[in-house]
Amino acid sequence: MKLCKTIFIITTAIVFAACTPKFNEPDLSTGSINASDYLAIGGSMTAGYSDGALYDEGQRNSYANLLATQLKNLGVGATIFKIPYAQSSIGMGNANNARSILGNRTDCQNVVSLGPVKIASQGDINVFSNNVYNSQGPFHNFGVPDLKSIEIDINGYSNPFYQRMASSGTSSVLYDAISRNPTFFSLNLGLHDVLKYALKGGASDNITPVSGPIGFGFEASINNVIEKLTANGAKGVIANIPSIKSMAYFNTIAWNALKLDSLTAANLNLYYGALSAPFSFSVGNNGFIIQDTSQFLGFRQAQEDEFILLNVPLDSVKCYKWGSLIPIPDRYVLTASEINNIENAINDYNTVLKNISETKGLAYVDVHSLFNKVKNGFIYNGVTINASFVSGGFYSLDGLNLTPRGNAFLANEFIKSINDKYHAIIPQLDAMKYPGVIFP
Amino acid sequence: MNYLYKLFLIVFFYIPTSYFSQGFQVNLQGQKQQGMGGAGTAFMQDASSLFFNPGGTCFVNENSINLGITPTIARGAYMDATTNQVSHTNSPISTPFTAYALFQLKDSSDLKFGLAVYTPFGSTVQWEDNWTGRFALTRLELRAIFIQPTVSYKITKKIGIGAGFVYANGKVNLQKDIPLNDAYGNYAHAELNGKANGFGFNAGIYFQPIEKLSIGLTYRSKVNMEVKDGDATFTVPQSVANNFPSGKFTSKLPLPSVTTLGLAYKINNKLDIALDVNYVGWKAYDTLSFDYENNTEKLLDTKSARMYKNTFAFRGGAQYKINTNFTARLGLAYGITPVQNGYVTPETPDANRVNYTAGIGYQFGKHLKIDASFLFTHLERTDTNLETNLSGTFKTNVCAPGISIGYKF
Repeated sequence: MKLCKTIFIITTAIVFAACTPKFNEPDLSTGSINASDYLAIGGSMTAGYSDGALYDEGQRNSYANLLATQLKNLGVGATIFKIPYAQSSIGMGNANNARSILGNRTDCQNVVSLGPVKIASQGDINVFSNNVYNSQGPFHNFGVPDLKSIEIDINGYSNPFYQRMASSGTSSVLYDAISRNPTFFSLNLGLHDVLKYALKGGASDNITPVSGPIGFGFEASINNVIEKLTANGAKGVIANIPSIKSMAYFNTIAWNALKLDSLTAANLNLYYGALSAPFSFSVGNNGFIIQDTSQFLGFRQAQEDEFILLNVPLDSVKCYKWGSLIPIPDRYVLTASEINNIENAINDYNTVLKNISETKGLAYVDVHSLFNKVKNGFIYNGVTINASFVSGGFYSLDGLNLTPRGNAFLANEFIKSINDKYHAIIPQLDAMKYPGVIFP
Repeated sequence: MNYLYKLFLIVFFYIPTSYFSQGFQVNLQGQKQQGMGGAGTAFMQDASSLFFNPGGTCFVNENSINLGITPTIARGAYMDATTNQVSHTNSPISTPFTAYALFQLKDSSDLKFGLAVYTPFGSTVQWEDNWTGRFALTRLELRAIFIQPTVSYKITKKIGIGAGFVYANGKVNLQKDIPLNDAYGNYAHAELNGKANGFGFNAGIYFQPIEKLSIGLTYRSKVNMEVKDGDATFTVPQSVANNFPSGKFTSKLPLPSVTTLGLAYKINNKLDIALDVNYVGWKAYDTLSFDYENNTEKLLDTKSARMYKNTFAFRGGAQYKINTNFTARLGLAYGITPVQNGYVTPETPDANRVNYTAGIGYQFGKHLKIDASFLFTHLERTDTNLETNLSGTFKTNVCAPGISIGYKF
């Protein structure tokens, strides 16, 4: 009887084993690159900025770290990818620099709705005061929030995110990176050269011009970076710049979200009619009234394809006549001509980036196309991914930077380019293993 | 005979080469037939003829009961084309069973009555946690039990006809993840659970022109399994619970018709061969839809194209009498998948298949007979699904050992 039982168990085990389908181990290879010393250089996205803050979980899920992890998984001797962790779950910074989470908020009309709320009234300010180069560095992730192409070679660059990871008080981001002797690098630089201007509604800051010397013009600054990084024969991958038109930050509040009933429309027509304003209101959706100093009246009605920024105080719009009786201030609005300037600069930057990638034989990642694809929406393993704020799964709660899932999609674009250019076989990430916005 | 031989050649060598066959059909309705590749429409052996050809049942000269079970181990795996990640199924062993009872009012009567209970459709697919295709499916359990009272009548010494009414009763349980992350890192989950039933029939003609040759033709009708009042349960983060109200749903799953032409030939007293050609009306499975009672902006009724095609399966086998008690069987079947390129899903990652089968039978005295069979098949399909964009290779191995006991009185 015992023998029978043993035979039964063995037979069952054999049947199960014989019945399990097998796949051949896929070939993996880093192709013609040496990935043992990979460095990432870039701005907020590279740093893992997310939900309006730099905090550990975001840094861990930066596309740069995800790419480094995939390289490491190939077992080609890549070292630990060192990141200047904020050592904060709130986010480093002062007032309003804490990260956002999704929560219930009550507006001026006492309506409760789900939206981004700050997890704390301020970020961990003390993080900035400690330089972590000696304790945690030297680093592999040179993603520095807000870093512009024209700032990367400034000695003693005063950006507090850089100051805490700098090798000395007089070093530059580029100097520190080159000191690491990278064998392979990713460069994702240029977005902040327009974004800082865009986030201020074009009311302050400047778009970096394409021409001009190192530290002033985009082209010379980028060429300087690439020359120095490739001086020892390092290979790399260069990302281009996405259109701001694709980002949730600029698309969430529609230009014509001023919804009026007949009485309000009539009253506004009466008011603006008395000023001889060249526009009128009707029942339903209307363009917001925005500040525009080029106009005789100093304001006008927003037009299609103009952006109201995500940081516009919604209570002012809902309860205090912003956008109807009070023009929305310039710093919350990107006008058509401002958008045009930004988009032209991005296109010019991308020409520069593409050209230098070709001259230097470097891989080129079309982030511009990825972000447009997200804007149009696509289906990934049964899931619809799009640029909708909160629900789209791609943009984090700041509307500009990405969720871990968005970072995984971005890392996959880098992997595809590296595979193409360097005949590498690096598997992509299953992006759905990385969360989108967390729902309470 | 020459003419039939030609017909056989035509059928066998002009197999349509487009994509077509098996889906969630389970062809495990008799151990003797299973040993012979599943062929048995023209080869009347015992009470299992109630399923294989009610027209031939009247040629089975006995009162008998036959009970069988085939524990089926299906092991599936999926390798994603972009990530190389391999996911496995850990589906439970399914147990298709058969119970046949055959009665005649008096010995050698031309009229016979029978009752057949069997499970011609069904599967349970359970994918491992967190697998790549979890938003398409995490678990599907389909069960359908057919109950078929049958009458069979021998018109002449050479021709028999028969028909049975089919009442089908089943259940469906479908689960998948919803792409909403909660605070604990889990995805939301949907479970659709319902009971279904439907009606159909199984009719056949059996013709024995000469002693050595028999021909069978059967038609098992389509059965529309309707799920009414199914329960849809959504486990979602509290903040979006209003968007996913749990409630009732309705759905429908067509179980396709099967038309079969079979031949059997007695080569000598020891050796029999049998061949079947199935034509399966899978085209009926055009769309899988779920109609929710409580719709919201986020919970809309769904319609997923399945676009199955009608398809063929070819089955052949031989039975050899080693001695008076002992019988050995060997068979082969080729099934063409009904699933077109672009429509392969984790529910039924179907592909063209070859079934390898073998069996033995042993007669204990006059009354008791035990038959056993073994089936192995391997499925492999690489596809990019048009609805989900899930892109990769599915592999499935099926091992199905079965046993039945027959008692004659």
